[in-house]
Amino acid sequence: MAEKRERYQNRIELLQGTLDLLVLQTLQWGAQHGYGISVAIRNRSGEILQVDTGSLYPALHRLEKQKWIKSEWKISENKQRAKYYRLTATGKRQLTKERSKWAQLSDAIAGVLNPLEDESEP
Amino acid sequence: MRFPWWGRKRRQELDEELQSHLEMAARARIERGEDENEAANAARREFGNVGLVNEVTQDQWKQRWLEDFVEDARYGLRRMRKSPGFTAIAVLTLALGIGANTAIFSLVNGILLVSLPYPHPEQLVSVTGAYPKGAFVAMREQLRTMDVGAYAEGHELNLTGFGEPVRLASTSVSAELFSILGARPDLGRTFYPGEDVPGQGNFVILSHALWEQRFGSDASILGRSIELGGESRQVVGVMPAEFRFPSTKTQVWIPLQNDPRNAVSFWAGDFMPAIGRLRPGSTLEQAQTEVRMFQSHVGALFPWPMPASWNANASVVPLQNGMVADVRERLLILLGAVGLVLLIAYSNVANLALSRAATREKEISIRTALGAARPRITRQLLTESVLQALLGGLLGLAFATEGLVLLKMTLPSDMPRLAEAHIDWRVMLFTGALAILTGVVFGLAPALHSSRAALTEALKSGGRGTAVSVSQRLRSWLAIAQVAFAVLLVIAAGLMIRSFWSLSHVNAGFHPEHILTARITPNESFCNDAKRCLTFYRSVLDQVQAFPGNHGAALVNTLPLGGRVSKRSLVVEDHDLPPGEDSPLFWLNVVTPGYFRVMGIPLLSGRGFADSDISGAPVAVVTAETARHYWPGQSAVGKHIRLLDDKDWRTVVGVIADVRAYDLRRNAPEWINGTAYVPYNSAATLEDRRIPAEMTIAIRTASDDSQIATMLRSGVASINREVPVSEVKSMDAVVSEAVSTPASTMTLLAVFAALALVLGTIGIYGVLSFLVSNRTREIGIRLALGAQRTDVLRSVLGEGAKLSLAGIVLGLAGAFAVMRVLSGELYGVGAADPLTFCSVAILVAVVALTACYVPARRAMRVDPVVALRYE
Repeated sequence: MAEKRERYQNRIELLQGTLDLLVLQTLQWGAQHGYGISVAIRNRSGEILQVDTGSLYPALHRLEKQKWIKSEWKISENKQRAKYYRLTATGKRQLTKERSKWAQLSDAIAGVLNPLEDESEP
Repeated sequence: MRFPWWGRKRRQELDEELQSHLEMAARARIERGEDENEAANAARREFGNVGLVNEVTQDQWKQRWLEDFVEDARYGLRRMRKSPGFTAIAVLTLALGIGANTAIFSLVNGILLVSLPYPHPEQLVSVTGAYPKGAFVAMREQLRTMDVGAYAEGHELNLTGFGEPVRLASTSVSAELFSILGARPDLGRTFYPGEDVPGQGNFVILSHALWEQRFGSDASILGRSIELGGESRQVVGVMPAEFRFPSTKTQVWIPLQNDPRNAVSFWAGDFMPAIGRLRPGSTLEQAQTEVRMFQSHVGALFPWPMPASWNANASVVPLQNGMVADVRERLLILLGAVGLVLLIAYSNVANLALSRAATREKEISIRTALGAARPRITRQLLTESVLQALLGGLLGLAFATEGLVLLKMTLPSDMPRLAEAHIDWRVMLFTGALAILTGVVFGLAPALHSSRAALTEALKSGGRGTAVSVSQRLRSWLAIAQVAFAVLLVIAAGLMIRSFWSLSHVNAGFHPEHILTARITPNESFCNDAKRCLTFYRSVLDQVQAFPGNHGAALVNTLPLGGRVSKRSLVVEDHDLPPGEDSPLFWLNVVTPGYFRVMGIPLLSGRGFADSDISGAPVAVVTAETARHYWPGQSAVGKHIRLLDDKDWRTVVGVIADVRAYDLRRNAPEWINGTAYVPYNSAATLEDRRIPAEMTIAIRTASDDSQIATMLRSGVASINREVPVSEVKSMDAVVSEAVSTPASTMTLLAVFAALALVLGTIGIYGVLSFLVSNRTREIGIRLALGAQRTDVLRSVLGEGAKLSLAGIVLGLAGAFAVMRVLSGELYGVGAADPLTFCSVAILVAVVALTACYVPARRAMRVDPVVALRYE
């Protein structure tokens, strides 16, 4: 169990940067609950990105702690109580930043001909 | 840490949130036409482990800093284990720097900063200048801002009738001195007011050490009388072991004898330092004003006119400063030197860290790209360097403890408060702060730099981007600074060594080899009868003449470099005094015939003393300097001098070479006008108009000194059992004690300089090694394109030479500017001595280039094929 938990955490950390970006981007179109966000990301990525709930919920709570998103309980269209998240003003600014950073990174990666090698100590 | 009652609502909400997710997922499946039961299970399968998701989400709520710190620390330790060489150098460098600093700071702390061990030390002050008893008594009566006390150190008294006679160091104190200090005795009492006048003060207080050694810690000694200096004194108290006023030397305290009827002793005897305790409500400034007022009229109280210049600058300073004024400068020089060592250590570790940061730039860029927060990375790098600094600090503390022991052994033991210095909590704090500060300083530079590294650049260049050249420049500057600091320290040490060399090779005017000296000290009262005294010494000399292996013996009242001056006012022929001026004050040496021969003091003209001079016509011998001063261009032989109050003129019969009698730099202190020698007879009186009672015997020996010493002791005892023989040592030892202070300063500076040179060398070696490993590929290409290996060697060496040269030039310039602080400690060498400057420059250049040669050779041996395949 403990080992498994560590594996989860590792995955969170690796995906953290990009997942945050995806969550913020998704919320730009309006408030949404966790399930809705995971469905939206899956659909928009053409079913390629399967968002792991073990990453999604920690990410949501972390983003909320950073005050980039805000949550409130609302009744869904299916008359069900659900926790909705929406983007805050700082969250919007953060999204812009993250997007340009992402653009830079993908440019960079595209530009790099050499594959990244392991770090080596001299 | 989790409290069951804390955040329960939040946990319920999270449960609900996850539950709603499951339900919505299941509903979506049902809407797509799945079976209701199937849908719920599938949704659950897709979701994964609900409990686990719950748990990792809750982790986000927690304060992360502690976990982060532990993680960072673990990561840091792992990295340190992975590169033990780097870690060892960094930690050791820091430990040496911090250790040396802590040791010196402990010393400075113990001597200059820690409050005096008396109650309300802030009220204790020292009156600068020195006062005879009369002036002190007037001061005690008149001052309103403070209670004053005075003490005369450096007297010696014989303790007799208690086993072997011994010579004790005594300090005469005013009756209130102990109560002013607030010092309480371990046993008995201190002195009562009014006990410092004749007839009232036949008391003595013992030091703890003396009480232990001589009286076997016997409390019944209280109230008993002991024979001190021929007088019976009642023991009234024993001080605690920690009480060391005015210094550790004092073994007994006796009350001053303030006797206005004895004008000479009252107004011209000991000139004593005065201390005071500010009365409640008085300030230091008020006390200063009052002392200045007092000083303006105290001169009129003297039975003779006092020069206006006497104590003209008298003031009041905190006692703490007053007691250590002489050593302050030397300590601060040492502190400065050791600070430079720490700076070098800093730059070294910073340099190493920078090099590593450069190689890690790629790793950091990747982690940033993957979303690691920048502050987190900065913190991680910081943790790593703080860990190193802490390790270095701990090891440094161990070094410091050892170092302080060594320091105490190296420094002259009469340095005030030296014994009090120890590593205490303040120094611990200082070390800790230093360690952390070091960590932050050298950790932050690379950390800021690394985390600012442009992402794309770093990724593109695979770790050798522009940032590297920036840090290369920084590293070069650090290396230059290290060399410069090392040059500074080596020059300081070089100057001290040169100065010490000239001091030990100075022509002292006598030949100290094969001379055994010893103090023979009958009680002052023994010589009230001059004839008895002279007969005693005659017998001593006769005894010694019979010793096998003795090549002559003589007596003198003040041995050269023995730390004592005997002054005498006299009248010089052809030199009438202008009205209102004092008679010249001479250093009067009272000797037995044969003294000049025994000491090897050359006679320049005329003759020395003969046995016939003891009872013949009054004669004297002067030194070359005195002869030149009083009778320039003439022969001094045949001129006359007369001791003040004597009737008979003494004929100068000889002129001897100058003797460095006061210290190795000076023949006599500045306030002495001339030096004369007279034969030891009943006419050879000193300032108190008595003949000297304490004499030092000098024996030129051919055989074993210790054998002669034993014979001397038993010889003297056989003549008079009450006369102690003390300070038995060779004249060579007397001379080396005279240079022990400059010797200790020199030794310490030399150690620091060596440390600086080693650390600086490591630094420049590190920079070049990094440069070479960084340029391996470039060097490979050059070699492949046909460059000569010697060109490569030259280019790397050139790089090193450039750094070293810049450092040396900066260091020389800095030395030129700051070496003036040393000038007080130097003898026979200027603070800007060109020889020292040049040789140090060459030495450092050679050492630095040798350090460069190792990486340069590695560069030369680069295999182009391997180098090009790299990456």
